[in-house]
Amino acid sequence: MAKNTNKIEEEVRLKKRSNFGEVWHRLKKNKLSMVCLGFLAVMICAIVFSTWITPYDYTAQDLMSRFQLPSKAHWFGTDDYGRDLLTRLLVGGRYTLLIAILSVALGIVFGMIIGALCGFFGKWVDSTLMRIMDVIMSIPGMMLAICISVALGSGVFNTALALAVGTIPMIARQLRSSTMLINGQEYIEAAKSFGESNFRIIMTHVIPNTLAPIIVQTSLYIGGSIMGIAGLSFLGLGVQPPTPEWGNILNNGLDFIYDFSTRWNVIVFPALVIVLAELAFNLLGDGLRDAMDPRMRK
Amino acid sequence: MSLLEIKDLAIHFPTEEGDVRAVNGISLTVDEGKTLGLVGETGAGKTTTALGILRLVPEPGEVLSGEILYKGQDIMKLPNKEVQDIRGNEISMIFQDPMTALNPVMTVGDQVAEVILRHQNCTKTEAQGRMIEILGKVGIGSDRAGDYPHQFSGGMKQRVIIAIALACNPKLLLADEPTTALDVTIQAQVMEMINELKKELGTAMILITHDLGIVAESCDNVAIMYAGQIVEYGSLEDIFDHTSHPYTKGLFNSIPSLEKKVHRLEPIHGLMPDPANLPTGCAFHPRCPYATELCETEVPGATEVGPGHLCRCHHCGNLQKKEGVIHE
Repeated sequence: MAKNTNKIEEEVRLKKRSNFGEVWHRLKKNKLSMVCLGFLAVMICAIVFSTWITPYDYTAQDLMSRFQLPSKAHWFGTDDYGRDLLTRLLVGGRYTLLIAILSVALGIVFGMIIGALCGFFGKWVDSTLMRIMDVIMSIPGMMLAICISVALGSGVFNTALALAVGTIPMIARQLRSSTMLINGQEYIEAAKSFGESNFRIIMTHVIPNTLAPIIVQTSLYIGGSIMGIAGLSFLGLGVQPPTPEWGNILNNGLDFIYDFSTRWNVIVFPALVIVLAELAFNLLGDGLRDAMDPRMRK
Repeated sequence: MSLLEIKDLAIHFPTEEGDVRAVNGISLTVDEGKTLGLVGETGAGKTTTALGILRLVPEPGEVLSGEILYKGQDIMKLPNKEVQDIRGNEISMIFQDPMTALNPVMTVGDQVAEVILRHQNCTKTEAQGRMIEILGKVGIGSDRAGDYPHQFSGGMKQRVIIAIALACNPKLLLADEPTTALDVTIQAQVMEMINELKKELGTAMILITHDLGIVAESCDNVAIMYAGQIVEYGSLEDIFDHTSHPYTKGLFNSIPSLEKKVHRLEPIHGLMPDPANLPTGCAFHPRCPYATELCETEVPGATEVGPGHLCRCHHCGNLQKKEGVIHE
């Protein structure tokens, strides 16, 4: 009996490896995704350990060395107050990424719950929740974020919430339609006939089958969210100066675009960081979708 | 006491075009360990009956009347929670199409283990052990348990579904055309396996099919359904050797026989009536070669033509063919 149990445990372990291991194995084959993953890893490490990387303080002004182009002392040059641009971008990344990920996570969690409930139960649950979603959707996303930001005030969580509210209806709609599609499948009926509760059916049968498009959407929304934060910062909402944030660093640089040939660094570097981060998230999302789809396995 | 007893079950689907009466007052019993064959054309209400037993009639269908007594308890009156405990544990179902009855993003092993974990009080490891054992019984090695449904052939998928259905040693198995989606050689294999496992586990079964060959091989009792009613009900022998109802006769006449040499098969003429608009009197009378005026006006009751052999026909004792109306 003991031997038998050992054997079973071994099999269970083998299977576990095949779940996570196989996704990783397939992702590793996708070179573009791996490059993106590497880039994001380096970027996040740099952001987390920024205080050890640059000797400058992100608020320290040095008016004697304004608008310096990249040099050994200042790799990315300095801005209009003589602050080290690299330091500001690294510290700003903390806020930008934190808000972006938090807002998308909030949007996805609530959007998925609402969408799955609507698609699965239909009838009045669907009508009620979806009409509320329609109301939210009828307000342009940026305007909604501005209103919520004004009402709640600035700050990391409030900004994330302001941006999340706009994504909830989009994710809910998508999940609702995929849930309805899956609901008609025989394996849902089969699960009911095996005595599964509705909650279990939603969690184990419906949601895993809707994940693939959501994962890709997530990476797109993170990109969009980075832009949204930048937009809010531009209007003086969201993250307040002197706290750096990619969007407000770029907007700050935008004021000096008339002098591009001598002050290009204040625009090019923040823009490049935003573009590369967005691109990396999008391509990684694509790769993950391919790797996680069991139908693509050999 | 029988394991399952259905009394006067009626299920309808209210739609905008009218009331679709899918099941109109059927009664049947299944004894422990026995197999009942439920035979009929597409749309006769076989699947609806099976789903009714599990209380899973799809929207907007509702059960109008009738009792479904499982071990003496009326399933229709039980609270939802208890019905959920019965589903998959005491009564389980095998679905028609193995291609869509498995979740594509879960390994087959997980899907089998899920049912075991749901119903048996056991740890994950125990459930895994039981899963490997039951998969072994249906001829799937433990090395395949971590695979996904798309890596399996149709016949193997159906075996996985059978494993799921039998994982908790149910008392009653509802097999809804388990072999219709499979090709003939695999059909034979799957039926043989179901019959063996059934014998081994002592499970009773309601076998829904339109294949009389399968019925002859595996059933103890047979119920022939037409337009939501059981038109003839009896033991395998009653139905095959003492066929009484004209519809059953028609079914047998439509099968080519190896022994008798016939020029042409005699099909049942016409189509199944629209369940939203059933004919008056006997539902079969527009297609029946023996129909008389009585059949058009009065619904026939169940007549006992032999011990335990019921037939719903005004003329089941003496069938006289109408003079050359339809058949010439």
